[in-house]
Amino acid sequence: MESLFLQQIANGLIVGSIYCLIAIGLTMIFGVMNLSNFAHGDFSMLGAYFAIYTTAYLSGWFGWISSMFIAAIGVGIIGYFVERTMFRPLMKRPTDIDVIMLSIALFIILENGAQLIFGATPQMVVDPFQSASINLFLFQTSYIRIFSFVLAILIIIALQVFLTKTKVGVGIRAASQNSKASMLMGINVSFIYSLTFIIGSALAGLGGVLYGTIFAVYPTMGAMPTLKAFVITIMGGMGSIRGAIVGGIILGVAETLGGSYLSMQYKNSIGFIILILVLLTIPQGLFGRGKRHA
Amino acid sequence: MSRKNALRNVIAFIVCAGFLFCGSHLMAAGDPIKIGFSGPFTGSLAFNGGEMKKGAQLAVDQINSKGGLFGRKVEVVWGDDEAKPEVGVAVVKKMITRDDVLVVGGGYNSSVMIAVSDVCSQEKTPLVVAVAITPTLTERGLDYVYRTSPNSPQFLMGACQWLEKERKPKTVAFLMENTDYGRDGEKIYSALAKKIGAKELAHLYFEIGDTDFTTQLSKLKNLNPEITFCIGSTTEQALIQKQSKELGYVSQWLGAGGHFTEAFFNMLGTTSAYCMGVSLEPTLAMKDPVVADFVKQYEAKYNGARPGIFSGQAYDNVMVILDAIKRAGNPTGKLAADRDSINKALKSTSIKLTQGTIKFDKTGQVVTVFPYVVQTQIVNGKPELNIIYPPEKATGTYQKPLPWNQRKF
Repeated sequence: MESLFLQQIANGLIVGSIYCLIAIGLTMIFGVMNLSNFAHGDFSMLGAYFAIYTTAYLSGWFGWISSMFIAAIGVGIIGYFVERTMFRPLMKRPTDIDVIMLSIALFIILENGAQLIFGATPQMVVDPFQSASINLFLFQTSYIRIFSFVLAILIIIALQVFLTKTKVGVGIRAASQNSKASMLMGINVSFIYSLTFIIGSALAGLGGVLYGTIFAVYPTMGAMPTLKAFVITIMGGMGSIRGAIVGGIILGVAETLGGSYLSMQYKNSIGFIILILVLLTIPQGLFGRGKRHA
Repeated sequence: MSRKNALRNVIAFIVCAGFLFCGSHLMAAGDPIKIGFSGPFTGSLAFNGGEMKKGAQLAVDQINSKGGLFGRKVEVVWGDDEAKPEVGVAVVKKMITRDDVLVVGGGYNSSVMIAVSDVCSQEKTPLVVAVAITPTLTERGLDYVYRTSPNSPQFLMGACQWLEKERKPKTVAFLMENTDYGRDGEKIYSALAKKIGAKELAHLYFEIGDTDFTTQLSKLKNLNPEITFCIGSTTEQALIQKQSKELGYVSQWLGAGGHFTEAFFNMLGTTSAYCMGVSLEPTLAMKDPVVADFVKQYEAKYNGARPGIFSGQAYDNVMVILDAIKRAGNPTGKLAADRDSINKALKSTSIKLTQGTIKFDKTGQVVTVFPYVVQTQIVNGKPELNIIYPPEKATGTYQKPLPWNQRKF
């Protein structure tokens, strides 16, 4: 017996987990560097195109798994250069607006550049499971979605272990709490900034491969994930990884349940309605620090 | 007013008039004949916009390679409307007032073209719409508005007949793009459902750019309608089919047909089986020599790329415009007069093109083109569109969708 309610919860959890992967990178970068990157979803788009080209040369499972590594490394490297050459020089400015404008400019340049280079034709990353699905008694879904869900959880756990158990990870968290104090404690904050941006971009790239396998790949595909990632991070608390995880799941489930039981037409608005409610009642977000960044 | 001021005004007037006169004089002297062509060349519909552009460019190139019109080259002013009404209005205004185009062609989104049609009729510039489907466009009695492709009732007429005479469903459901394109189609199919006594189980919608449809599809699966009407563009339709497979949802999908592009079949492969729609796809009607010639030239120009429905529609659109300019006589450079005589010439259009013979009724709507009903069928492991209705044009017989696990391809 399949239940529509459980099916919708499952749909929401799976989509939410992919939102999480993309949102975590965004929230990490914000937490450490106090930088809102509106081009974050376009890094996912780049990751998805890395996968399109990798799977064109390497077929089957090997190709798909390699494409995730290549996308993460490739987008990580691009992220490093973008951070060093563009964001870093602007971060010393007294206002945030320069950095925000830069990221919006990047978003437009990446989208249009992708259209020029890759063309506007939508494509799909070849699904290694050939979109086979499985009936789990209470609900039905595809192997690729289950795989992505599990992978997203594993990556989140690995990231948590890295941030809490390794010296560098603790450094990232320290810089996120107070960069001046951590500098005084001998942490190389410049290195931490670069590392955070690389990890955030790599996660976006990886999320893009999953997104492009489950959904489709086209130059403008990054816009929606960027928007959702911002809703999630603001809802969960800017800079909080826990907030991004909880926020992602809340958004995924709220969208499917709201779409199913309230109104399908307002499916995309539901996230924003929740966002407004959260901002009005708990301005710092669910897991935000007491004081919001300026 | 002092005399000095009055004198200054007179001088200003003469100078302005002089400029205007010179301007119009310069234009007639063998300059290119300019037409505007708008479409969504960037954004999520950029692929479809690109197909239009290729078809339109082929038409212009064909005319120019034969010496153009009246010995003058034809030049297209491309306008990217980004599928947004406000952008469409801005680019078309610029074409008319700054680029001095004689006619505006192209146009993909119904909501964009409704806004644009108001601008064109204010500016008394003929607007010849290529793709946009809403009947509202030509039904408002605007003198300068034409459409070279069928409107949505005409588009779906064959499909409605097929449902009424052959398929006779008892239950139907709707999953529509939440735009004029989807909503108009919904009205037509809904009216038909009422006419044949089919129960409408659900009316669901999605937005352009949505990627996850599992919410809607889970709901539909629970209701299990015989026919699911779904009108939308390539990317969304491909994702809907893929996710139907993932959720094990089986239904006879019936859309409009704009989504049956090369990219749709490349993305889905055999997952596209049984999907139905209506079509004016040039490659399906290769028995027609005009169509065959168009397909051959298109493939030659674009490295073997297969022309889609929008390529054919845009090609016809530009050909109709150029035919009207030709019949209206060599443009004199007096924009208002030229546009007016082209407007008159458009009314008596009768030209055989890829969609059939194009003739307009009083409202400016083509009344001689009807698309056929098609179904995706798997032949030798590859998806192929077959015409299944009307019987005299059929290239295959209707196949009822099998459950996903019983499909042998």
